[in-house]
This record gives sequence, structure tokens and C-alpha cells, in this order.
Amino acid sequence: MSRADLAAGKVIRMSLLFRVQHLLLTMLLTVLAITGFALMYHENSLAQWIIRLEGGIHNRGIVHRVAAVLMMANLVYHVFYMLLSREGKPELRQLFIGKQDIDDFFQSLRYNLGTSKEYPRFGRYGYKEKFQYWGASAGIVLISLTGIMLWAEEFSMVFFPKFILDIALIIHGYQGLMGFVLLFLWHLYNVHLHPSVFPMNPSWITGKVSVDWLREEHPLEYEKMKEKGLL
Amino acid sequence: MRKFALAAFIFLLGGAFLPGLERDASALISLEKCTLCHGKPEFRKLLVGGAIRDLFVTGDMLEGSVHGKKGCTDCHFDVSEIPHRERPRRVTCTHCHFKGNKEGAPQSDNVLAYFDSAHGKAIARGNTKAPLCQDCHGSHAILKVKDPASKVARGKVAETCGKCHMEIYAQYKGSIHGAALAKGVAEVPSCTGCHGEHRIYAHNDPKSTIYSTHVSEQCSKCHSSIKIMGKFGIETEQVATYKESFHGVANQFGSRTVANCSSCHGVHDIRPPDDPLSMVNPKNVPKTCGKCHPGANPNFAVGKIHVDAKKKESGIIYWTATFFKWLTIGTMLALIAHIFLDMYGRTRRLRGER
Repeated sequence: MSRADLAAGKVIRMSLLFRVQHLLLTMLLTVLAITGFALMYHENSLAQWIIRLEGGIHNRGIVHRVAAVLMMANLVYHVFYMLLSREGKPELRQLFIGKQDIDDFFQSLRYNLGTSKEYPRFGRYGYKEKFQYWGASAGIVLISLTGIMLWAEEFSMVFFPKFILDIALIIHGYQGLMGFVLLFLWHLYNVHLHPSVFPMNPSWITGKVSVDWLREEHPLEYEKMKEKGLL
Repeated sequence: MRKFALAAFIFLLGGAFLPGLERDASALISLEKCTLCHGKPEFRKLLVGGAIRDLFVTGDMLEGSVHGKKGCTDCHFDVSEIPHRERPRRVTCTHCHFKGNKEGAPQSDNVLAYFDSAHGKAIARGNTKAPLCQDCHGSHAILKVKDPASKVARGKVAETCGKCHMEIYAQYKGSIHGAALAKGVAEVPSCTGCHGEHRIYAHNDPKSTIYSTHVSEQCSKCHSSIKIMGKFGIETEQVATYKESFHGVANQFGSRTVANCSSCHGVHDIRPPDDPLSMVNPKNVPKTCGKCHPGANPNFAVGKIHVDAKKKESGIIYWTATFFKWLTIGTMLALIAHIFLDMYGRTRRLRGER
């Protein structure tokens, strides 16, 4: 953290490597969603237009699978980074869901409904971030597994009967829809439309957030940094 | 005998001056003359290859046909002397059946369609075995299509096509469609039901009704109709479930290598799934799928192929889909509720701070 940042009231929240992983994920998920939903809703004229744009049904599949392979590579890299790197290990620890998070969720619910005056005080990651992280992770793992099953259908059917692949297809499609819902109604709200960040939390590009925002939204993290003398 | 000749002469002379009778009279004469030879049942010609061409024709053969009032030379107009020295040419129907003809012979554009078809093009290329009009419609005993005895009637046309397409006819006879045709089922497709009548094209011609991307459409003409399928207790959802499947979607977007109805069910030899010879009999499914999916095993037959996740009968597939549907809807509602609650609480908090 440079002195210039501190002078400007900024503090780093996302390191360069995390921003690269996040940006890759953003782009790949967009490609996967466009190609995937075009197939899922192939009767829709917009979907048909998209499929034509992608060079037909065959090329659509190739684009979808290339993006999927890159996304899975990104996922594998992320897993290793979180498990082994000096930066990743403490991050992962702070992402574990504990009893505190459940308490925080109900506390915020009570506060929002007006029955409590205290808003929960979050650490580096509050229940919103943790729900997003683990929800997306579980979704990506599930959608990757079913996707590989469907991609290598001849190989999968050596082990599984046909109806298992039918189920895999249903899970794959709905998981895509769920991911989309989660991104739009949860993530985009939290990082774009939320009154504290509107129009955008800039950390995914610059990596930095303002010290004021941190004190307001993640007071425990703010205090910890203050204690360590980082601010 | 002399008296008869005189009577005939007077009759002829009279006929010559009565325009209405002229044709019939000459026809009668020529028929009589022709049948001097052609009326003998043993009148036939041994061809070079050892085949026999039957040349036996009598006036009765035209009787009751659409050309009942025509004479031999009306069609065999290149015969000008009797006995004719050369073999008469093949009859050209368009001699009369053209637009605006004075005979009043019925005319349609089918003849034009025929010239564009696989048969017409084979003729144009000089294939003498390719069929002309008379090869399907019959030569002397031509009947209207609606007449069940007609060679091109619904129940008879397969046999007519089978004269040349022998192997295919044999396959068809053993198929569910062929068996139903033999029973006299009116709705069942014979050759023309799928291939068309005059517009018959090769299966790899994009104009063909049985081109790989047209097959499902052609089958669905009957197989998606509850009215027709209901009579035989056959489900109609097969068409919709195919269109929703990977095969069906790729097919609709023009893939020519992906499976269509006939890739799995067969072409001329379509049989019901419980028939051990059927390509879609569970025992034969691995082999059928293996045509495209190398190494297909019995797993391919475990679970319904034409599965509809929206139907309860689909069992676990239906329940998985229903679970995920409500999970998605529930998540959406919960997240929207959370957003509004959070917005509400946040604005209060901001206001309080100010």
C-alpha cells in the first residue's frame, strides 16, 4: 500500500492476481451465458439470431466449450492459489462461513425490518460476500462436472445410463440459470446498485476502495488494519 | 361377306361426313386391325436378354379406363401402316396432356414437376429404365387415382413402385407401415406419402421431402397429429421431444450429420419397438446408437429416449427438473425480497446518520 494511496484515502482490497481471475471469470461467464442460453432457448428469435452470429449450432458449441475449458482452468488455478499461496491461504480462512455469519444475517434482517437498532459489523467479508463466493463456487463446480459429462457423452455413457445424462442436462441448464439469477440479483446489486457503492465499486478494476467505505461497510476489517498500523 | 364390306364402306363414308363420329369410327377400325395380331394371347416377343415382352392387347383393356373412348393410334400415333415395320416409340402422354389442348385432356403442372424429379432427370440423361408416365399410371388400363384399382391408388402405389424398387418394397412390406397398408389402413403412408408423387427427388437433394433436415418435418405430418395417432394408440409427443433434444435442435439449425427420425427408427423398415427386428428395440439400441456413437453399450437403452422433463411419467427426471425450477424461483424471490429489505434498511440508516 503506497503512501499516495493512503493520502488519497484509498486502500487495496483486491490484488492484481485476484483482479485478473475475476476479470477472466466475468468475460468467460458472459460468453458461456450467451452461448448457453442461446441453445437453451433456441426457439426464441433472439437466440436464433445469436446462434447465427456465432456461426451456427456447431460453432456455438465450440465457442461454449473453449470458454468452458478456460473457465475451468481459471477455477483450478484459483483453488490452488487459495490453498497454497501466501496471499490465498488467509483469504480462504476469512471466507469460511461461521456461526457469526448466520447471526449477522438475522441481525441485518432484524435491523432492516426495524426491530433492532444495531446493524451487524462485518469483517473483511460479510455474509453477502461469503454467500456469493460459495454459491458461485458450488455452482461452477456442478456446472463444470455436468458439462464435462455431456461433452464426453460417449465416455460418460460407459458408466452411466442414459437417464443420468438427461438429469445432468437439466442440472446444467438450471445451474446456468441459477448462476445468472445470483449474479444479477445478488452480485450486481451488491457491487453496483447498492446505495453505498452506486454506480460501481471500483475495486474490481483499480483494486482499491476508499477508507471511508471500508469503515462504513467492513468496520471490523477497518479496525484490524488500524491496529496493524496499515492505515 | 361382300354385303358386310359394303355396309362397312357406307358406314365409313357416313362417318367421314359426320365430324362427331369420325374419330370413333376410325378408332374402331384401327383397333380391329391391330387386334388381328395383338389380340392373340400368345403374341409376344423374345428379347435378346431372354426376357419376354408380352404384346397381347385387346379392346377390352381400354374399356372402363380413362381412355375408354380412344383408339390405338391416338397414342401410338407413329404407327401409320399396319403391320408396322418398326417397333413403335414409347408413348408420349404430353401429346394430348398439355395446357390448352383441344382434346380436353386433363392437364396439370405435374408433368413439369416430373421433368425436374429424380425420375425425369434420369430419363433426360438417357436412362431407358427410368419411368415415364405410363410406367406408374399404367399403359392401357389407366384409372383415376381415386379408383382403388388404379396403379397409383393409395393402396396400390407401393406395389407399382416396387416393380423397379424391389428390395425397398420388400423392406417396406415388412415394416409397420407396410403391414398397416396391407390391412387397408387409410392413413398409413405408402411410398408417395413420404417421397411425394411427381416431385420425387434423391434423398441427398435439398429439395427432397426426405432430405436429412426435412425428415422430422415429414414424419411429424402424421406423427404429431393427435387425430391420426389417437386411432392407433401412438403417442404424439415424440416429435416435440425430438425437437427439444440435442439431435433435434442441431437438425433444426441445419446439421446434416445429426440423427433424424429415420437414423434411429429406420427408413423403409420401420418397425414398432417391441418387434425384435426393430432398430429401436432395447436389444438393438446399442447397435443403432453405435452407428454414430462408437462403443455404444446397453446403457444407451436405460431410460427413455424421447423424454419430456415436464411430464410426471418421466420420474426422476421430472422431479429433478421440478426441484430446480422451484429452487430457481425461490432463490429469485428470496433475493428480490432481500434487495428491497436491504435498500429500505440502508436508506433509514443513511437518513439517521445525517
